[in-house]
Amino acid sequence: MQKIDYCDDGQFCSGHVACAGCAEALSMRVILNTVGENAVGVVSPSCVAIIVGGHPTSSARIPFQHGTLESAAASASGMKRALRAQGRDDTTVLCLAGDGGTYDIGLQALSSAAERNEDILYICFDNEGYQNTGGQRSSSTPMSAVTGSTPAGNTTQKKNLIEIMAAHRVPYIATASPSDLSDLAAKVTKAKTIRGTKVIIVIIPCLPGWGVADDAAVKTARLAVESGVFPLFEVENGVTYRLRTTEKPAPIAAYLDQQKRYRHLSDEDRQALQDDVDRNWQRLLWLAAGE
Amino acid sequence: MNAPLKNRNLKLLNGNHAVAWGVRLAAPDVAPLYPITPQTPILEKLIEFQSQDLFDAELLTPESEHSAMASAISASALGARVFTATSSQGLLLMHELLHYAAGARVPIVMFNVNRTPAAPWGFWPDQIDSLAQRDTGWVQLYCENPQDSLDTVIQAFRIAETTELPVMVNHDAFWVSHSVEPVDLPAADLVQSFLPRVKRSVQMELGTGRALSAPADQASWNLSRRDMDVAMHKVPGLIDAAGREWGDLTGRVSAPVETDRCDDAEIVFVTMGSMAGTAREAVNRLRDTGIRAGLVKVRLFRPLPVAELRDVLAGVPGALVLDRNYSPGTGGVLHQELKSALFGINEAPNLFGLLTGVGGINVPVETLVSLAQEYRGADPVSDPVWVE
Amino acid sequence: MNDQTSPLWTHLTSEARLTGTWRSALPAYQNQPSPCLGACPVNGRIATWVKQVKDGDLPGAFATLTENNPFPAIAGRICHHPCETACNRAAHDETVGICSLERFVGDMAISEGLRFTAPVEERPQSVAIVGGGPAGLSAAYQLRRLGFQVSLFEASNGLGGLMRHGIPAYRLDRAVLDAEVNRIADMGIDIHLNAQVADKTALQSLRGQHDAVFLATGASQPKRLPGLDYDAPHVIDSAGFLAASETEQKARSGGHVLVIGGGSAAMDVARTARRLGREVTVLSLEPEGRLPAQRVELEEAAEEGVGFVTGAMLHSVSAGAGGLDIGCIKVNFEPGEAPGQFRASPIDGTGFTLAADTIVPAIGQDADLARWQGLLEPEGPVIGTRQWQTSAPGVFAGGDVASMERFVTQAVGMGKEAAKTIAASLDPSLAPPSPLADPLVVGDRINTAYQDPRPRTHQGNAGVTDRLASFDEVQQPLTPQAAQVEASRCFSCGTCIFCDNCYFYCPDMAITRLDLAYEVKTDYCKGCGLCVAECPTGAIHMREDVTP
Repeated sequence: MQKIDYCDDGQFCSGHVACAGCAEALSMRVILNTVGENAVGVVSPSCVAIIVGGHPTSSARIPFQHGTLESAAASASGMKRALRAQGRDDTTVLCLAGDGGTYDIGLQALSSAAERNEDILYICFDNEGYQNTGGQRSSSTPMSAVTGSTPAGNTTQKKNLIEIMAAHRVPYIATASPSDLSDLAAKVTKAKTIRGTKVIIVIIPCLPGWGVADDAAVKTARLAVESGVFPLFEVENGVTYRLRTTEKPAPIAAYLDQQKRYRHLSDEDRQALQDDVDRNWQRLLWLAAGE
Repeated sequence: MNAPLKNRNLKLLNGNHAVAWGVRLAAPDVAPLYPITPQTPILEKLIEFQSQDLFDAELLTPESEHSAMASAISASALGARVFTATSSQGLLLMHELLHYAAGARVPIVMFNVNRTPAAPWGFWPDQIDSLAQRDTGWVQLYCENPQDSLDTVIQAFRIAETTELPVMVNHDAFWVSHSVEPVDLPAADLVQSFLPRVKRSVQMELGTGRALSAPADQASWNLSRRDMDVAMHKVPGLIDAAGREWGDLTGRVSAPVETDRCDDAEIVFVTMGSMAGTAREAVNRLRDTGIRAGLVKVRLFRPLPVAELRDVLAGVPGALVLDRNYSPGTGGVLHQELKSALFGINEAPNLFGLLTGVGGINVPVETLVSLAQEYRGADPVSDPVWVE
Repeated sequence: MNDQTSPLWTHLTSEARLTGTWRSALPAYQNQPSPCLGACPVNGRIATWVKQVKDGDLPGAFATLTENNPFPAIAGRICHHPCETACNRAAHDETVGICSLERFVGDMAISEGLRFTAPVEERPQSVAIVGGGPAGLSAAYQLRRLGFQVSLFEASNGLGGLMRHGIPAYRLDRAVLDAEVNRIADMGIDIHLNAQVADKTALQSLRGQHDAVFLATGASQPKRLPGLDYDAPHVIDSAGFLAASETEQKARSGGHVLVIGGGSAAMDVARTARRLGREVTVLSLEPEGRLPAQRVELEEAAEEGVGFVTGAMLHSVSAGAGGLDIGCIKVNFEPGEAPGQFRASPIDGTGFTLAADTIVPAIGQDADLARWQGLLEPEGPVIGTRQWQTSAPGVFAGGDVASMERFVTQAVGMGKEAAKTIAASLDPSLAPPSPLADPLVVGDRINTAYQDPRPRTHQGNAGVTDRLASFDEVQQPLTPQAAQVEASRCFSCGTCIFCDNCYFYCPDMAITRLDLAYEVKTDYCKGCGLCVAECPTGAIHMREDVTP
C-alpha cells in the first residue's frame, strides 16, 4: 500500500471542537499543514468556523478572520490586496467555507472574486447542507436526501458548482476527498503554486447530518468517490478536465446504504439517483475528452 | 469662513472630487469601491488618479457594496489603511458589515453621499440612509460643502486610526456632491505629516495564530461594547483637537459642533450637512431684520457631542431643528437626539422639530427666515412639523 | 485594548481544551492473531514471517517460522495449507500463496545451511520419544530447544516416518527431507534407529529410564476393505506399494492398476504407478468434488493421466480375459461428523465392471494400540486425547496415534503442543500451551481500500512428460523476486505494519509516532475510532474507556 504523503508540521492543533470522527477536521489538518505558515485565512460561519474555534482559542497556527457568511471570497480578496500593498504578495490567502457559504449565500462574492481572478485559495467543505445549524438543505443537497428542511427528501438537483466555476475560467478547480489525503495534499500543493483563484471542493460526509457512524466518514467519502457520486478531478483554466480515474465507477448502492439520509428511498428512487450519477459521469468523460 | 489665506492652492471642484482629492492625499493602501449614483464620481476620480500614477492604492471593484465592505474590513484587519465610498442602497446593503467593522475595531474611512433610499426610487439628498446606521458603531461626520468634505475626510483617517473605530463621512447628494466650488488643496507632505502611519494595538500578524472575531461568550461580547464605549467617549475631544491642528496648518478650524452668532441669539437653527449653508444665509437675513438668530452646525453626529450641544444651547430661548430626514413614527432624527441630549438642563431652549427638505425638496432661505419669524417666542411643540 | 484580554482576538491555541474528556472508548494497539494463524495446525505466526520475507529478512523469517515448525521446506511442499483457505485476501482477489512462501524460506535455509541455535540452558530431565515421524521429531525439536535431554526411538532404519515412507519423492525431494530431519538430529538428540518399542513391557522399561515418554508411533495398520482378499497376488496394500523399491514394484504390479480410495495416499499410489508406466484408475466412494485428497493433487493426477471412477464401490473381483474383472456399484455417500466417518449405501441396478490386473487399496490406516494393551487404555481408535496425556502417568501421545487428522502438519502441531505440555509437567515454571485467547482478525477488521487487487503468483509445475519420466519434484519453487511480490500481497492481518494510517487519519492529532510504535494522546483522543476503521491490518481495536 501507498503511505499517506504529506508532512504534519503542527499547523492544526488538538483540542478543537469538531465532532468526534469529523472528516472536515481531518481535511483541515491536511490543508493547513500543506498551506504552511506563510498564510492568512478567512473562515465563514460554518462547521469549519467552529473547528477553527471560539474565543479565546484558535486551532490554527496561522491567523484567521471569522468573516460573514456571504462574503468569504470578498474578505479573502481584501486580505490579498492588503498583503500586496504591504509587499507580502507571497503570503497565501486561504478561504475556508461550507457549501451554504459557497453554493448559496456566498456564491455572488465567490463569482466576483473568481471573475477578478483574485489570488486566493478557496476551499469549500461540501457537506451538502447547512449542517452547523442542525442540517437543513442547501443548493448543494442532492436529490432525495432527507434534511431537516426536506423531511420527505430533497426535490431538487445538487448545483454543479464546478461547472459554474469553470465558466469563470479560473486557473484551477479540483475536487478532493478525506478518503485520499495524499491527493488532497497534492492538490493544495499544486494550488499554492498557481496565481489567481483556486477552488477546491472537499466532500465531507457529515456524521449527524448524513446519518453516518462516528468511524465511517472516511469510508463514506471513499464510497462517494468510488461510486462516481463525487468523482475526483481537476479543471485547469476552466477547460482542461483531468479525471483521477476513467474506470467505470462502482454502483452507488453501497454509498447509499452507508447513510441514514437515503434510507427511505424506493428502488425507483435509487435507480433515478444511479441514472443521474451515470449521466454526470458520462458528461465528465466527455469534458475530459474535450481537450 | 474668514480664515487667513495661507498657501492657498484653489481648484474648482465638486464635492465628490474634493473627497477624491482628500483620499488621494491620505494615501490609503486599499480601496474597494462599487459604483452608485451619486457617489460614482468619487470612484471615477480615484481610478483616474490611479491611471495617472497619482494614487497607488490597491483598487478593488467587487460585485457589491457588501463585498466592498467585507474586503475593506479584512484589508484593514491586516493593518492596511482602507477607504471606501457609497450611498443610500449601497450603504443599506452594507448594514450587516457596518456592525462587523465597528465590532472588529477596524479603522476604515468611508464616504457616504446621503441619498433617499427606495421605495420609491429616488436620487435626492436625504440623510436617513446614514442616520439609520447610527447604532452600528461608526463615527459619523456631516459636511456642509466641498471644502468641508475634503478637510473632514482627511481628518477622518486620523480619528479612525487613533480610536480604532471606523468613520463614516457624509455629504448631501447633489447639493454638495455635484456642486462645484473653489477648494483649497493642502500640500501632500502636509497631509502626510498630519496622518502618520500608526501601528494598531492588535492586528492580524503572520505566525501569531491569533484569530479575529472568533465566536465569543457573553462576557467577551459585552466587553467588546464597553471597549467601544470608551473609544467613543474620546472621539469629540480628538475631533476638536484635529480640527484645531488642521486649522493651524490650513487656516480652517473645525469642531464637533460649530456655531455662528449664537452668543446673543434668541433663536437658533440646529442642522447638519448642506442645510447649514442655507441656514447661515437665513441667519444673515434675520440679523438684518433685527432678529438675533444663530446657527448650530452639528458636524459630529456619532458619537453625539452631548456636552458641546448642552453648552451651546443652554440659555438660548428657541431652537429650530432642521431635519433633512424622517424617521417614521418619530420625526426628524436630530430633533429626537437633541430632545434627549438637552433633557434636564437649566434654561433648555424651546425645541421645534422641522422636517425640512425630506426627499430632497428644495428649502429656500426665505422659508427658513419665515420659520424663524413664526417660531420666535412660540410655545414649545413636541410633534415634528412638516415644512412645505 | 489589552493584548491578552481582547474580546476580539484569540490568544490561546485550542490545545488548552482537553477533548479527551468526550471519549468513552480508546484505541488500543495490540497485534492479534490472523485467521491463517488460527487455521494453521502449528499456529505459525504467518503474518509476521511473510512480512519478513517481504522486507527481505529471510533469516528472520526462518527464525519466526521455526518457532512452531522445524520443517518449513517440507511443509512448504506438502502441507494441506488450511491457512490459505482462511486467508482474508480470498474475498478480495485470491488467497496469498503462503505455502509457496514457506517452501521458499525453507529452501533458502537449506541452501544457506542455517542451523538451529543451541538451547540457552541444559536441563537434567530426559524425555523418550517413540516414533521418528513428524509428531515425534516436532516434539523432540521443541523439547530440545527448551534444553531437555531427548532420546528418540525409531522402528525403521530412517527418520521421517510417513514423510519418508509414505510421501513419494516427486512431492518431497529426499534431499530436502534429509536436510530438515538432520537439522533436528544435530541439536544433540540421542537417536536410536531400528529400535521398536514393541510392547507394554518395552514401554514400561522406557518410562522407567526417562522422566516422560512421548508416543508418536503413527498409524501403521492399513484399514481393511471387507471382501477383498489381501492375500491374493494381485492385491498390494498402499503402504507396501509406496515403501517398496522401484524394482520390487515393477515386478509385482501389472499393466493396469486400480487404486481404491480418494485421499492423499490414493493419489500418491496412483501417481507413483503412472511414473512406473502403468495405466491407473482410481475408484472412490466419495462423489466428484468430495474426494478428501487436496485439490491440487487431484488436478495433477488427472494431468498425469490417472482415470477416476467416483461415487462407487468395489463388490467383487474375478479373473477375466487378460486380467481381473472388477465388479463395482454406484453408492449414495453421506459424510459423518468426525474425520474418516461416512455412510455409503449401494444403489440398486447401477453395477458396472472395471478391468485391471492389480488392486491397491489405499483407504487409510489405523493406529496399532493393541501392543500396549493393559498399560494404556484406548480412547476409541486413539490415545492421549486429554492434553496429550494417556492413561499412564508420564506417558504422552501425539500425531496419528492420538488423532484421526491424517495430515503431516497436524502431526507437527501436535508434537509441538505435546512437547509444551510435557515440558510444563517437568518444570512448572514453564507455562503450558495456552489456547488462542484473542479473537482472530477476520473480515471487516481489514480495510481493503488500501489494497489494489493483485493476482497471486503461482508456482509452476514441471511438464507432464517430464513428470512421468522420473520421480523428480513436480512443483517448482518461486524465484526470489516472485516470492517478494507474493509476500507483499499479505494483508498482515492483526499485525501493525507501521503504515501511519492511524496517525494521519486522526482528526484530533491524538496519535504520536514513536520508533516502531504509536501512542494515543489521551488528553485529546475523542474516541471516534477512525484510526481503527482505517487500519489496513486490524492491528488496533477500540476498548471501553470510562475513566473520568
